[in-house]
Amino acid sequence: MKISDFLDKKAVCADLKSDTKPAVITELVELLLNAGLIDKKNKNKVIDVLMAREELGSTAIGQGIAIPHAKCDAAKELVGCLGISKKGVNFDSLDGELAHIFFLLVAPVDSAGPHLKALAKISRILKDKFIRDSLKTAKDETTIMKIIEQEDIRLAAI
Amino acid sequence: MVKIQKEIIIRNPQGLHARPSAMFVQIVSKHESIVTLRKGDEEVNGRSIMGILTLGAQFNSSVVITAEGVDAEKVICELEALLKKETPE
Repeated sequence: MKISDFLDKKAVCADLKSDTKPAVITELVELLLNAGLIDKKNKNKVIDVLMAREELGSTAIGQGIAIPHAKCDAAKELVGCLGISKKGVNFDSLDGELAHIFFLLVAPVDSAGPHLKALAKISRILKDKFIRDSLKTAKDETTIMKIIEQEDIRLAAI
Repeated sequence: MVKIQKEIIIRNPQGLHARPSAMFVQIVSKHESIVTLRKGDEEVNGRSIMGILTLGAQFNSSVVITAEGVDAEKVICELEALLKKETPE
């Protein structure tokens, strides 16, 4: 699995404006809607399942990264979006750091495998500090996609 | 110093996804022992959610936990209970 398999280039934002958890989740879901990956009528439903998942425990996994994710019948296949917050958002991370890199995933109900593989892939790419810093400081969406595509190629070759 | 190693089959139907990984790290952080988790050839730090997620450990896959320290036995016991839990987290 490659990141570009579930990340559409239209669903990337280099400069998220929100500064609270609910606001940033809404802003990220809007990326999915605008990219046509989720039907607009399901906006609130998707936000609700993502927020419910956060209630169970934050998806901020440390080092400035958050991976809000949930299953919802509004998704017919695994879809994702990527947003960067330059100033950072308090996402209740275990390490107490603000989250800057948001990788949001929505998977169809009854799918465990692809979801886990996607989380593994995202973690593998973001484990690298250089990549995290490059994404955080990327000037635009094209730069972000270039970084992701290069990493996809690099990891596929290992 | 006590060093214990144990192979465990993951029984959580969702595999070692984000929440159990976070819980794994929380258990490790409460203990003094140094914990690593291995799947196949890959070994990661038991205090890193991101590291654990990179393993992509699915239902019924086998992982090896290694703990070294005064409370190695206790930490392994708690981690084993977490990974063997069959109810989805």
